[in-house]
Amino acid sequence: MTSLLSLRGVTKAYRGDAAPFALEVPTFDLAAGEALALAGPSGSGKSTLLMMLALAAPPDAGAFTFDGADIALLWRKGRRDALAELRARRIGVVPQTGGLLPYLTVAGNIALTQRIAGREDAARIRALAEDLGIAPQLSKHPAALSVGQRQRVSIARALAHRPALVLADEPTASVHPELADAVLALLKRECAAAGAALLVATHDPDRAAAAGYPILRCTTHAPGADGIARSVFARLPLAEAA
Amino acid sequence: MFRLALADIWHEKVLFFCSALGCAAVLAPLIVLFGLRQGVVAGLRAELLEDPRAREVVSVVNRTLEPALFARLGADPRIAFLVPRTRALSATIVLENPARQGSGQRVELLPTAPGDPLLPGYGAIDPDALILSITAAQRLGLRAGDPVLASVARSRGVQREILTLSMRVGGIAPIAAATRDAAFATVPVLLLTEDFLDGTVGPEARPMSETEARQRPFAGFRLYAARLEDVPALDRDLRLAGIEVASRAEAVAGLLRLDHNLALLFAAIAGAGGVGYLVSLGVGLWAQVERKRRDLALLSLLGLKRRALLGLPLIQAAAVALAGAALAFIVAAGVAGVLNRAFAGSVTGDRPVCLLTPAMGFAAAAVTLVGALVASVLAGLRAGAVAPAEGLAEG
Repeated sequence: MTSLLSLRGVTKAYRGDAAPFALEVPTFDLAAGEALALAGPSGSGKSTLLMMLALAAPPDAGAFTFDGADIALLWRKGRRDALAELRARRIGVVPQTGGLLPYLTVAGNIALTQRIAGREDAARIRALAEDLGIAPQLSKHPAALSVGQRQRVSIARALAHRPALVLADEPTASVHPELADAVLALLKRECAAAGAALLVATHDPDRAAAAGYPILRCTTHAPGADGIARSVFARLPLAEAA
Repeated sequence: MFRLALADIWHEKVLFFCSALGCAAVLAPLIVLFGLRQGVVAGLRAELLEDPRAREVVSVVNRTLEPALFARLGADPRIAFLVPRTRALSATIVLENPARQGSGQRVELLPTAPGDPLLPGYGAIDPDALILSITAAQRLGLRAGDPVLASVARSRGVQREILTLSMRVGGIAPIAAATRDAAFATVPVLLLTEDFLDGTVGPEARPMSETEARQRPFAGFRLYAARLEDVPALDRDLRLAGIEVASRAEAVAGLLRLDHNLALLFAAIAGAGGVGYLVSLGVGLWAQVERKRRDLALLSLLGLKRRALLGLPLIQAAAVALAGAALAFIVAAGVAGVLNRAFAGSVTGDRPVCLLTPAMGFAAAAVTLVGALVASVLAGLRAGAVAPAEGLAEG
């Protein structure tokens, strides 16, 4: 299996809900088309890791490659447009509450990633909408949708431009339990259909496991002498895992 | 990016309309003020320009002015027309209609040359032609094309000599050119008359060529400034050169002062209003960026580049400015219509007191657009600096 994402010795300090935290990722690989759930309690750094993987926040140290590009180097060189280009073309994001633009219709929101990536494809929007059961809502604005429908629009938007990686940050946090299962299943099914790798941050590993996701749990360490708590996300390199 | 910016505006059309209205509320009075300035000044200027004598500067004391002076004046770009004149006392002639024996009439002889603003429509006047004032033509019963006898008499001891020239009426001068009995002739005709009265030529002499005539010194001149604004400066320069002149320099200077003062007044009001407007627009856009921080961060997270993010507030500011300018111009046009009806015939004759033109509308839109873009740059920079991570954190 080829590695889409590869992190080695990546660290990032951040201020959590209470004490300062340091996120550590000694090794982390994700293969193309693979699905994985990142599990950990609230404030353990799941979202911070996701931000780094979404190329939206720089690591403090370590090696980080994505889709063959040296992301750590791009951050060091301040090449924000190159990072934006990678985000636009290769990454899809599903924020917690959908993150839809209120002034665009459902169709406009789904088409947004295609437009930014320069890959407009109305047929794919239609197909995704049909798949996700939101075709009747295409001309509506997000305000007219239910929470579940918004999440499905967000999933469609994340997949519309055929990314290599989809990142979902607690996509089930704001939906009721039955819908949460459906959202996780939808995400997994659609990403598999699109051939995209999927990383889902969740504080509910059992639900993710039930939906068929392999789970990567973070290990948390209480503050040491330096007063900094640590969260460690470690996963065997693909070669070793194989 | 355009579609995104405009979709956002359309989604918040009430806010957009309020912003455009705020822009129009500042702009409309400024456009009316500018229109008033243009209308009043243009009206007064047109009144002056309609009278060709407004740009006229004439020397009033007989001097001996050498050809070099005329060459210098002729090369001055501020002077559109220049014709020398002979001594006033030598510049009268008796005209007679050959068809009416004994109808001799003494008229003032005025020099002219091609392009004379007093005789619009006349090109080069033939050496044997005279352009008569309306009163002279009426008294003599002459029309354009009629023959006319021009004569001047002198006494040498007891002997009376008369120089007679057979000429023709080249045309009738407009009323503004001469209200008295007068005839316009080429410079050589005036020189011949002067020479004859001075006794330097006999009754059989005939006019010399124009080129020869221009080599001679003259007693004075009549000139026209190229622009109204040049009259005071020419008047001053000629007086400084020791040449006594008469002109409407004071009236023109008064008009220019009024124009200048109105311009200052406009600049002060427009400056204060414009700065206030720009600050309010800039602050409004800044606040909008803060309000839309989550959306901007999300767009950044989805891969929209920094310059595109920076462009969003700029496009929206441009839309507000253009809509505001259009609205302001419509309001100003309405107010101008009311003012023009209210002051019809009382301030600037039949001309509008508040003059608005499409060019002014475009200029107002352009100035507003530039101002709005300048004001929105900070907001744009703020938008461009929104971190993509906020899109995930707040999404």
